[in-house]
Amino acid sequence: MSKTKLAVFAAKFTRKSLRLLGKGATTLPGKIALKVSPSVIKDLSKNKNIITITGTNGKTTSSHMISEMLTSMGYDVINNISGANLASGIATTLICEKGTGKGDKVYVLETDEAAFAKIAGDLNPKVSVVTNLFRDQLDRYGELTHTRDCIANGIDMTSAKLILNADDSLVASLGKGREEKSIFFGIDKATMKSNNVKYPAKKGVLEASSDAVYCPNCNVKYEYESRSFGHLGNFKCPSCGFKSPLERFGIIYDGGISPSMDNFPFSIKDNGSGETKDITLKIPGSHNLYNTCGAIAAVEVFEEVTKGKTNDREIFTRACEAQSHVKAAFGRMEKIAVGDKNLCILLVKNPVGLDRSLSFVAESSDADALMLCLNSNFADGKDVSWIWDVDFESKAEDLPSKIYVSGQRYGDMKLRVTYSGCNVTESGDMSHVMEMLKKALEECPAGKCVYVLPNYTSMLDLRGRLVNELGLKDFWK
Amino acid sequence: MKLVIGHFYPDLLNLYGDRGNVLALYRRASLRGIDVEIRSISVGDEINEDDIDICFFGGGQDSEQNIMAKDLIEEKGSIIKNMIENGKVFLCICGGYQMLGQYYREHDGSMLKCLGALPHYTEGKKERFINDTVYEFTLPSGEVTKVVGFENHSGRTYLGEGEKPFMKVITGHGNNGEDGYEGAVYKNTFCTYSHGSFLPKNPLITDMLIEIAMRNRYGNDYVLPPLDVSVENEARDQAFDYIQNGKEQMI
Repeated sequence: MSKTKLAVFAAKFTRKSLRLLGKGATTLPGKIALKVSPSVIKDLSKNKNIITITGTNGKTTSSHMISEMLTSMGYDVINNISGANLASGIATTLICEKGTGKGDKVYVLETDEAAFAKIAGDLNPKVSVVTNLFRDQLDRYGELTHTRDCIANGIDMTSAKLILNADDSLVASLGKGREEKSIFFGIDKATMKSNNVKYPAKKGVLEASSDAVYCPNCNVKYEYESRSFGHLGNFKCPSCGFKSPLERFGIIYDGGISPSMDNFPFSIKDNGSGETKDITLKIPGSHNLYNTCGAIAAVEVFEEVTKGKTNDREIFTRACEAQSHVKAAFGRMEKIAVGDKNLCILLVKNPVGLDRSLSFVAESSDADALMLCLNSNFADGKDVSWIWDVDFESKAEDLPSKIYVSGQRYGDMKLRVTYSGCNVTESGDMSHVMEMLKKALEECPAGKCVYVLPNYTSMLDLRGRLVNELGLKDFWK
Repeated sequence: MKLVIGHFYPDLLNLYGDRGNVLALYRRASLRGIDVEIRSISVGDEINEDDIDICFFGGGQDSEQNIMAKDLIEEKGSIIKNMIENGKVFLCICGGYQMLGQYYREHDGSMLKCLGALPHYTEGKKERFINDTVYEFTLPSGEVTKVVGFENHSGRTYLGEGEKPFMKVITGHGNNGEDGYEGAVYKNTFCTYSHGSFLPKNPLITDMLIEIAMRNRYGNDYVLPPLDVSVENEARDQAFDYIQNGKEQMI
């Protein structure tokens, strides 16, 4: 038996045994396979259609969008689950996941930024998406420029077409010297408003902490013609001239209307084929404009690569049509009906994620209560200081008057909320979370929504409690 | 009454929730009816000693500290040294703390020149100190209080003549993992490695800094009016409890 075959056998055996014990077995089989044969990912990736998605925010949502689109186009899509995005999880997916057997197989794999450097060459994807780079658990990942360099090392080991966010200076810089491989997406420069931010920093209070606003080559501050959020925008270095590249796929939307409403209408322009399509946003939130555009770009370029076409109008039309089949997933803006009220869980893992989610709740017309859960397990990052990097102050007036706080570090979060000028209705650790959530739902009028913003392990904890105590179906993958 | 907080290099030195310290100063001063102004001071901005009551420096990523180091040393250095000598209030966290000292020597031997306003120096090591921290601090009144924070640094800092340690380490590594002390104090300049953010959960220190700054401006008769600390103390006590009893939760 070859080493690879032995590795596959060992992984499958592990998976079967663990499944008999009722375990998910999403990473251990791959870990064992990699021990047996370190080249198992490379061997199994040969001749496969693979799309990778990396970046600090929006990996899971983008992978989910791309998968749903490709499925509706008739592909047999195989995914890794969001918690299994390291080498071990990806090896497990390649070995153990079968798909439906109907249609051409495509592997849509979200990949951790640090892991990407190590396995991108082995995977050799057809298309590789980089969503964005925001500060994220600095105690685990280190500096952002380091994360960017990891991704750069990874992509140079592949022959993949790169789908890059043109509005993120760190991501866009990956296109330098890789012009042939790079395809950009972002907000259409001609229609981008000077300030698309609904909640700019309050005057006299402090601006949110910012990432990557200096050109790393010149140490000079970027000039922005227009901005969307965080450090994303139409930037230019006044010294070396490096600027937001002209995007092939542009988001055209009216910054005057809030993308927090369901089915928010906007257009995607393909500067390659010259076609513009009107679509609606299937998962709300301004950050999902980027995720949607990146997903359409990924699907379009993937089909072009596999079918040997370029700037194809027909594929673009099909990709936009496929986008209408996307639905939200648990924990990612999906509204769950609880009687005649709604519960909406928005996973928040880092400052920009929390900032976007707070803006979303502040802008929404149906928010009756807000709950924030903060844990500090290893997977969350032990350091909770990131909550102070978030600009609560600018949204404070528009947040619901009922705010509940939970998680291992509820005291820290309660203080953060209080310092923004809001009052906390009730707080307590996770043993009180359901008590508070039930109270919030009881007091919530029909048709209104309770928004819950947990970080990673508090979300997993909450998910278990929701299944057990509210009888919700565990449809999170 | 007025209080001006100068936030130095907020676009470059803003790691690990450092801005929470400025928000804490802002909140606890403005709730007392003080008219607080936060002024952002970055590369190329001019400063005037008399305009600023409290100077705040946060920590930054290495690449960002390199951008501001030149401006700090060459453009603002002499004014900042004067301000420190004249008893202005400074709070400097992590990178800001290191930058006020003599030098930072990386573990590979390369030297980063620092401002040299204070006599301490820092040696970089490969292993980072990443921990929840508890310190003991003696207030000017003689009252001893527990302080909580979070440390994340690879530099080991050693104090020089004329500087005193800011706090005593109960949990964590402190300045260098050797001498049991954390941070540095010189006149009204307070330096620490504690992120967390440092001030929000430690309101007695926030109040101490505000009171010194107000006395600098309005005379030594100024007394800071009392203000509730219950939410701050609840957060501090909960963090303290978590640091002592919290366990990694397996889900």
